[in-house]
Amino acid sequence: MLSVAARAGPFAPFVSAAAHAVPGPLRPLAPAVAHRDRKVPLDPKRPLLCRESLSGRAARGGLVVSASLNAPASVRCVHNDVAVPDFSAYRRQDVQDARASSQGSSDSRKGFSYLMTAAAGVTTAYVAKNVVTQFISSLSASADVLALSKIEIKLSDIPEGKNMAFKWRGKPLFVRHRTQAEISQEAEVDVSQLRDPQHDLDRVKKPEWVILVGVCTHLGCVPIANAGDYGGYYCPCHGSHYDASGRIRKGPAPLNLEVPVYQFVGDDTVVVG
Amino acid sequence: FSPASRIGVFIKTGSRYETTSNLGTAHLLRLASNLVSVNCLCYYIDSSVHATREKMAYSVECLRNYVDTVMEYLLNVTTAPEFRPWEVADIQPRLKVDKAIALQNPQVGVLENLHAAAYKNALANPLYCPDYRVGKITSEQLHHFVQTNFTSSRMALVGIGVEHSTLKHVAEQFLNIRSGSGAPGGKAVYRGGEIRKQTGDSLVHAAIVAEGAVVGSPEANAFSVLQYVLGAGPLVKRGSNVTSKLTQGVAKATSQPFDVSAFNVNYSDSGLFGIYTIAQAPNAGEVIKAALNQVKAVAQGGVTDADVTTAKNQLKANYLMSVETSKGLLNEIGSESLVSGTHTSPSAAAQKIDSVATADVVNAAKKFISGKKSMAASGDLGNTPFLDEL
Repeated sequence: MLSVAARAGPFAPFVSAAAHAVPGPLRPLAPAVAHRDRKVPLDPKRPLLCRESLSGRAARGGLVVSASLNAPASVRCVHNDVAVPDFSAYRRQDVQDARASSQGSSDSRKGFSYLMTAAAGVTTAYVAKNVVTQFISSLSASADVLALSKIEIKLSDIPEGKNMAFKWRGKPLFVRHRTQAEISQEAEVDVSQLRDPQHDLDRVKKPEWVILVGVCTHLGCVPIANAGDYGGYYCPCHGSHYDASGRIRKGPAPLNLEVPVYQFVGDDTVVVG
Repeated sequence: FSPASRIGVFIKTGSRYETTSNLGTAHLLRLASNLVSVNCLCYYIDSSVHATREKMAYSVECLRNYVDTVMEYLLNVTTAPEFRPWEVADIQPRLKVDKAIALQNPQVGVLENLHAAAYKNALANPLYCPDYRVGKITSEQLHHFVQTNFTSSRMALVGIGVEHSTLKHVAEQFLNIRSGSGAPGGKAVYRGGEIRKQTGDSLVHAAIVAEGAVVGSPEANAFSVLQYVLGAGPLVKRGSNVTSKLTQGVAKATSQPFDVSAFNVNYSDSGLFGIYTIAQAPNAGEVIKAALNQVKAVAQGGVTDADVTTAKNQLKANYLMSVETSKGLLNEIGSESLVSGTHTSPSAAAQKIDSVATADVVNAAKKFISGKKSMAASGDLGNTPFLDEL
């Protein structure tokens, strides 16, 4: 029916006063920009451009209002209620002025930032390396164990000709103060005849002191000092004879008695281990 | 076949059915259509509610296969809206925003004032909620409005691209829950007054009308043709609107930019016909007087048959083009069903237009000239004449 339909039509941009401005074919209407609940920014600037800019704006029929779920009728909110906080307390001196260009100071700012980063990086690497090595080295032997690994012996307590035994690293340690006769006797021994050829002077630092680990190289018994056929040590378990330098002479043992690492500290003290 | 279907529920209700105690309910009802949960969000293309003073249309466009899901949404909105009190309270600020945006166009304000000036009741109710009522509309008022107005005899279910049997089934099953004709609105009583709104705007919008024709009457067709004789909007982009008598007449009176058009609206028991002008504030008076003189000239017989034929062609073209789209067609079928329960085919409508005689057009113009006038104006009204000066 006529009078009902004639209200709207292709040339009626305004008549469908869709509450939020459906633009018509000839002219767009005021943009529907609205704030959520407080202030609605009205008065969009619509300059009068020419005679024809008013063309088609006079109303021709009744108002049709519309609200819609997904068309322009939904209010599109301008988020102008969000206040950007003032960050000037955090800004560098060079960029405090919001109106000036920041390019002039950008090199110096970048340089400073990079320098600080590099320094921090180096420091961190150093610290990290230290921390890691400390933690890992804590897995190695602790100080008391390391302390146990050395023994300090006062040499003036040992008379000549005597062999003293100490407990060191769980093993017996023989420290023998040799007489001159023993020294020269051991020096004359023919090295090529020995099962484990070693010259006496190779086994001692000072000839009058011989320091040996008192564990028989055969099966691990402790040899008896000043016993045996060669004036040295005799292992009672299987009958190994060692001489005064701790070299094997007779018996089933294959090697000479072990000489530990030691050094003389001062005149009177030797540190073994 | 088109892959998209359109369904609309048209209800004969609107702001005219409000009373002074529940003004703004219809506005909130429009906005409340968004409160219904939409499960079928992916299926519909366009969902909206259009309302005039005496008709509300809920329409949804969707894909052909998903008509059922979308129908569910429509039925929820029209027959069983929940209006939870806290939700109703939450959307009340939107009334203000809605109104503020609409009033950015001065035409909206002028037309609201025009109706308030022209009628005593019913049609005088504004389409947009008055400011004092924002925040005071309750869920009970909405429920009551729906109960008394959304009744089956005032509703029309229209579908384009939908099986008739589906629609019929849905209508009988669901839309029948409130039978009867609901509360009758008051008969609109024309009084003729004027409302002027002084703003600082440099453009003066003014509308001067007299009582017009009722929807569907033969007089209505005459008024429509008269509207096109006088000029109802530009038909050619960036032209000088040669066929519009009003525009040509006013162009002789002023050289400043202006716009003028014949205004015509028909309601079920009344109508308004007149002119709408937009002019620069200093020469608003000349524009309005020139426009009215043009109408007087037509009333005194200064219209040729050629003019009337041109107008008829324009009117027919406008009408036929409006029902070319599915949205326009849905609107047309729905509106007509509400008024008369039938549907006239476009060709029948075109014939009715052709049957309007030049004498009818002249009589319509005479009715305007002699009728009691109403006026609404807004802008800088220093040079805008009052009704009694016209």
